Amino acid sequence: MPRLPAIAALALSALCVLAPNAQATTERASLHASFAPDELGAPTTITFGFDLSTAEGTAPPPLTAMDLRMPAGMGYARTTLGLALCDPAALLARGLAGCPANSRLGYGSARVEVPFGTGAGHEIPEVQALAGPSTTGNTVVLFYANGLYPVAAQLTFAGEVLPDTGPFGSQLLANVPLVTSVPGGPDVSIVHVQATIGPSHLTYYRHSHGRLVAFKPRGVAAPERCPAGGFPFAAHFTFQDGGHASATTTVPCPRPHPRAARHAR
Amino acid sequence: MGHHVVRRATHCRRRSRRLGPRARAPRLSVMLAALLVLACGGAPTSGAATARAARTYSLTDTGHLHRTSGRGITINQELSEQGSASGTIPGTIYIHLKVVSVNRVTAQLNIYPSGGSITASASATYRSAGAVASFTGTLSVLHGTGRFSHAHGSGLSFTGTVQRVNDAITVRLSGSMYT
Repeated sequence: MPRLPAIAALALSALCVLAPNAQATTERASLHASFAPDELGAPTTITFGFDLSTAEGTAPPPLTAMDLRMPAGMGYARTTLGLALCDPAALLARGLAGCPANSRLGYGSARVEVPFGTGAGHEIPEVQALAGPSTTGNTVVLFYANGLYPVAAQLTFAGEVLPDTGPFGSQLLANVPLVTSVPGGPDVSIVHVQATIGPSHLTYYRHSHGRLVAFKPRGVAAPERCPAGGFPFAAHFTFQDGGHASATTTVPCPRPHPRAARHAR
Repeated sequence: MGHHVVRRATHCRRRSRRLGPRARAPRLSVMLAALLVLACGGAPTSGAATARAARTYSLTDTGHLHRTSGRGITINQELSEQGSASGTIPGTIYIHLKVVSVNRVTAQLNIYPSGGSITASASATYRSAGAVASFTGTLSVLHGTGRFSHAHGSGLSFTGTVQRVNDAITVRLSGSMYT
């Protein structure tokens, strides 16, 4: 029956023309991270960022989950980050003003794009990280993105900090909700995120002798020892189409502190 | 302090039982037996000194501690604290609490009640929620000195809180310790 293959081929080509987005895509991710200050054992601000795309250079499908893994040996004993907790409902209703200043963990920005778009994307200038309430006993990080255009909405989602093994000490797991660009429009794709977790640019407040006193919170401490090759970071991303992408990076080992170097001699 | 007293076998009696089967040469065993008779029978005061009272302490203690000035690179990795314990064995208490992962702590404890000291280690789950972090786990008494020189015990309850703004620790210990 020579006609059947011809019909099947026609049907396939028609499907491809009608639904170009249904083609299998290969998502790509890149990750970068840094410590400031970059000093062994010192409280620090962690900056991390990632870029997502397809092998074809277009915006990836919408992101649905991410898993960021951080190096082993980070010092959580004395951090004062997250002295208060932010209620997600208050955050969604009133924005950052709905949450205590002492619940802020960091801040950042993001860039979004319509799926498979090839434009430069649209900046979401305000991304906040806050400490949220937990039902499991694990630390919860709330992410809040305040979009104006093309995402005319406030977005809140939670990530959970869990212990990890091997070269990694902890991982931040988050399910990312889908956000439509405009009502009835396609879900947007995240193409870039840059964020901090740490005291940089944060101010906390405490009561002292009846007065409210501002202070800078103490960050999570960098590990006391640097493994060969640097501090490892890794991230795994899951997309709406079921695809995945992974990326790794390292923060180079810091140079020895001048005083420590003198003692070592 | 509800504790009971148990008499233990003397050190000498245990030693003689241990050496018996090992003595192969008859002359050596005779000499050893003679030495033991001299040591145990000939010097009754020293034998009596090894007998001691074994006790069981039902601990219910609470410690309130503050951070001592830490030194070196570990200052941000662990909490070194000093304070006072009240309850079954009151005294000065020291704790080194290390947050080994995002949800786990280990601790070394030293308590200095009158007449001795107690050293213990503990492991606990750790939960940080806002201004207060809490831990819940178990403690093992490792050893002691003075009137607690044979202190031991395991599976004691070890719970507490950390005021994160100033690192002040409240710790509660409960369970049985033996000496």
